[in-house]
Amino acid sequence: MKFLEDMILKFGSVDRRFIFLLIGLAVFIPLLRPIDLPIRTTPTTEKVYNAIDAIPANSKVLMSFDYGPSTKPEIHPMTLGVMRQLLRKDHQIYITCLWPDGLYMALDALDEINKEFDLVEYEDYVLLGFRPGNEAIVKGLASDLRKVYTVDAKGVMLADIPMMDGVNNLKDFQFIFTGSAGYPGTFEWVQYGGDPTGVPLSSGTTSIQVNEVMPYVQSGQVRGILAGMPGAAEYEKLIGTPGIAIQGMAAQSFAHLVIVLFIVLGNLAYFITERRERKY
Amino acid sequence: MAFSTILGAWIAAFLTLGILSYLYRDNPFYKIAEHVFVGVSAAYWAATFYWTQIYPNLFGRLFPKDGPLAFIAEVDFNHEFNVFYLFPLLLGIMMLLSIFKQFNWMARWGIAYTVGIAAGLKAYGYLSSNVLSQISASAVDIFSGSLPIFSMSGDSVFNNIVILIGTISALMYFYFSKEQTGSYGKFTRLGIYFLMISFGASFGFAVMGRISLLIGRFNDLILFSSSDYNYGTFWMMLFVVVVLGFWSFQNPEKKEG
Repeated sequence: MKFLEDMILKFGSVDRRFIFLLIGLAVFIPLLRPIDLPIRTTPTTEKVYNAIDAIPANSKVLMSFDYGPSTKPEIHPMTLGVMRQLLRKDHQIYITCLWPDGLYMALDALDEINKEFDLVEYEDYVLLGFRPGNEAIVKGLASDLRKVYTVDAKGVMLADIPMMDGVNNLKDFQFIFTGSAGYPGTFEWVQYGGDPTGVPLSSGTTSIQVNEVMPYVQSGQVRGILAGMPGAAEYEKLIGTPGIAIQGMAAQSFAHLVIVLFIVLGNLAYFITERRERKY
Repeated sequence: MAFSTILGAWIAAFLTLGILSYLYRDNPFYKIAEHVFVGVSAAYWAATFYWTQIYPNLFGRLFPKDGPLAFIAEVDFNHEFNVFYLFPLLLGIMMLLSIFKQFNWMARWGIAYTVGIAAGLKAYGYLSSNVLSQISASAVDIFSGSLPIFSMSGDSVFNNIVILIGTISALMYFYFSKEQTGSYGKFTRLGIYFLMISFGASFGFAVMGRISLLIGRFNDLILFSSSDYNYGTFWMMLFVVVVLGFWSFQNPEKKEG
C-alpha cells in the first residue's frame, strides 16, 4: 500500500512538461492512426439539423462567419456541414462576417464546398464580406442591409447583383445561422438579429461558449446549438458526410482520458500528503 | 504546388512550433511568434477597417461622385452626399489627436460618444433578450399534464423543478440583505452547488475547446509534413529543436530559491 501511495505521490509531483507531452501524444497518435469511435447525436444538435431541414426549398439563408483561424478546428466543420445541408435543398446563401478574418474562413469554406456542388456566385451564394461594428452591424442588417453593405466582398454593387433583389433587411431571410467563436457572435445575433425580427436563428459555437448560449436554446431564442467539436461531429453524422470533426473525436476522447487520469492522481496525491502531514 | 503555398505552410509550421515551444519554457522562438502575431493582427485590422468601413461608408458619403466635395476627391459607392457624416469624421480625428498632449482632451468627446452609443445599444439588447426573454423562459409550467415525469434531456416535470429550484436558490445566494443562516442559509448553499456545477461544466467545455484547437494545429502540422509541402514540418521541427537545444545549453534554466 505504501509503495502504491509513493507511486501516486511521484505522479502528483511530476514535471508539468511530462503532462504536456502525454496530452500531445494522446492527441497526435489518434490523428495519425484514426480510430472509429461511435458518435451519438444529442437533442441540441438534432434541433439545428431539423430546423434547417424544415426551411422551405429555395429559401434565402444568411450565414455569418464570426470566427477566425484560431477557432477554425471547432467552427469550420460546422459551417461546412450547414452549407452542405442548405445547398442540397437549393437554398441561396448570403454570407456576412462580423470578424475580419471570417472573410477568409468563408472563402476557404466556399473553396471546399465548390468541389462538391459546383457553385455559381450570385446564383447560389453572395459573399457580402466583413464590416466592422460588431452588434451595430447586426442591428443595421435588421433595419436596412443596404446601408451596411453597398458592395459585396469583391466590390460589386449590390444593386448589380440579381440575387440581392428583394433583400433589404433580416426579415427577408428565412433562416440565420452563425458560426460564432465569441464577441461579436451568437449573443449579438440573438439580441439584435433573431429576437427583434423573429427570423429563426441557429448557432454553432466554440465549446467555451456553450454554457452561456444554452439558456437561449432552452428558451427557444436559438434553434439548437452545435456545441464545439463534438457538436460538429454529430452534425457531420446527421448530414451523412463524415469530415474532420469526426476524425478529431478519437483524439479528443483520448486527451480527455489523460486529463481525467491526472486530475484523479493529483487529488489522490493531495489527500495522501495531507494525511501523512497530519500529526494527530 | 505553388511556391507561395509551400512557403506559407513552412511559415505556419514554424510559427505553430514556435508557440508550442513555450510549453518547454519561454524562449526566443515563442517571442518571435508572439510579436509577429500581434503586429500582423494590428496591421490587418487597421487595413481592413479602413477599406471596408471608413473608405466606402464614410468617404463614400462625404465625397460621392457629383457631390459638393467631389472637387477634393471622388469615392463612388453609389451613395449620396450626407453632411451629417462630417460629425463621425470630426470625432475620429479628435480621437486621433490624443497622441498630442495639448489636444488629448479632445479624444474624450469621441470616447464619450462611443460609450454612450454602446451603453444604449447594449441596454436595449440585454433587457429584451437576456432579462425579459429569460424570465419568460424560466416561468415553466411545472406540472403540465403533457410532460413526462422524467427525461434525460428534453422538457419534463423533474427538469422543470430543477430549473425552478436552481434559478431561485442561485438568485437568493446573491441577495445580501439577509444573513445567510439557518434554513435560508441551507437554501442559498444549494444555490452555490448549482453555480459550482455550472462552473464545472464551463471548465470541462473550456478544456474540450483547447484540445480541439490543438487537434487543429496538429492536423495542419501533419498536412505540412507531406511531400507536397517538401516536408515543411520536419525541417522546421529540426530547426526549432536544434536551435532551442543550443539556446538552452547557453541559457540554463535558473532554479528558484
